[in-house]
Amino acid sequence: MAVTVSELATWRRVLLLLVRRDLRLRYAGAWLGYVWSVLDPLMMALVYAFVFQVLIGVRKIGETPYILYLLVGMLGWNWFSSAVTEGCRSLTGEAKIVRSANVPREIWVARTVVSKMFEFLLALPVVVLFAVYYQHGVNWRLALFPLGLLLQFMLSFGVALIVAPLTVLADDVQRVVRIILRMAFYLTPVLYSLNHVAPKQHWIPIAGKLNPMAGILTLYRAGLWQQDLLSWHVYVFTTVMSVLVLVLGHLVFKRFEGTVLKEI
Amino acid sequence: MRTLIEANGLGIEFYRNRKRNISVREILFKGRSTAPKETFWAVRDATFSVTEGEAVGLVGANGSGKSTLLRLIAGVMIPDEGEVQVHGGVAPLIELTGGFQGEMTCRENVYLTGGLHGLSKEAIDDRFDDIIGFAELEDFIDTPFRHLSSGMKVRLGFSVVTTLDEPILLVDEVLAVGDRKFQEKCMLRMEELLSGNRTLFMVSHSEINLTRFCTRGIYLRHGELVLDAGIEETLKAYNEDLDR
Repeated sequence: MAVTVSELATWRRVLLLLVRRDLRLRYAGAWLGYVWSVLDPLMMALVYAFVFQVLIGVRKIGETPYILYLLVGMLGWNWFSSAVTEGCRSLTGEAKIVRSANVPREIWVARTVVSKMFEFLLALPVVVLFAVYYQHGVNWRLALFPLGLLLQFMLSFGVALIVAPLTVLADDVQRVVRIILRMAFYLTPVLYSLNHVAPKQHWIPIAGKLNPMAGILTLYRAGLWQQDLLSWHVYVFTTVMSVLVLVLGHLVFKRFEGTVLKEI
Repeated sequence: MRTLIEANGLGIEFYRNRKRNISVREILFKGRSTAPKETFWAVRDATFSVTEGEAVGLVGANGSGKSTLLRLIAGVMIPDEGEVQVHGGVAPLIELTGGFQGEMTCRENVYLTGGLHGLSKEAIDDRFDDIIGFAELEDFIDTPFRHLSSGMKVRLGFSVVTTLDEPILLVDEVLAVGDRKFQEKCMLRMEELLSGNRTLFMVSHSEINLTRFCTRGIYLRHGELVLDAGIEETLKAYNEDLDR
């Protein structure tokens, strides 16, 4: 499959067009739109901090300040989970326009993932505010952040490329996806750190390898808590997994593309 | 003369029940899907080519695969058999309001649809006034699209697609839209476009329009290409079939 320069130009132009439109809709009424997109993860972080620190008062399960630790995790996870849930509807939700515009169909899925990425990036100033408030220092590993972004983009795009055509074929796929995501939320070190909760030391890399989101979230957090990193081979594994998921997503999408266009 | 459209053994198969109604629940609990498996070919074995500047009319009864063939050429459906090669861009007058978003204004919609059909932002900037002017929507530029009347909506769609400078024009029954005055404008614009060496591929049930715009006719029956000849001859064959 040869990708020509003009195809890439189409991708860029159309993707920008759609993402800009999404963001404009999302942040219409500037302030309020922004507040809403940040408020949800922020409130959830507060709720979890309250539950684990005040109500249960368990041993330390994440780094301190816990609320900051939670916030980074919640924002990262939110990008993934909203990209996948909305990725389900990225074709069906725009059926009419998908049916009438001759652009590479993957763009409809990429658009959701990229829009959600921008929401994630736009919410980061809140993390900075919290870090400043707690006078929490940063280290050079902040440079790993873009790597986390890249890996998460590939992973989310790959998963969305799988669920989007399946949702066109069977509309209850969305429900299944939602249930799986909710379970995955607790299996992913969002609320906790693998380094603190894995019952035995040698389970940490295994859990890290099985779930690419575990490695990705630690890459985001590494600049704030260097002690929370996983061993390097986990990251190699995460990278390979993310690439494989993207390739698989591409294959699944291509396999169902023709059927999707008939059924949509 | 350059060949612009080349179809080779083109075919596409559909399920008779358009929605296949599969559900994960059913597959999980019954181990299989109970959706009907019966299929039919909407278009099959279509082989033809269209050269630059030709105007082809597609004739046939409802459900004979005309619109599907048009969609295959437009690239918004993918064939199950054979292939179609289209050399050059396509301006599709199919589902005119399909790309428009109700909650967005006319201005935003023009930029979105124009962009999806391959125009850059600068190109749309240049044509924006013409597009709005032709659709006669100067007073509604910043009105949400859903507030327009249905006639206004198709006028805007027609106006956007006909300002694309693609060499191939695909028309699915929407030669003229809106009220009588606007329909005349549409006709004039179509003639203007065709005199500019565009290639036309149209589906229509109107013999007047077919003979007015087309020189060549293709007759489809149950997805099969029955006749490919001059438009008069094709229409005659179609009418004879109907009268039989």
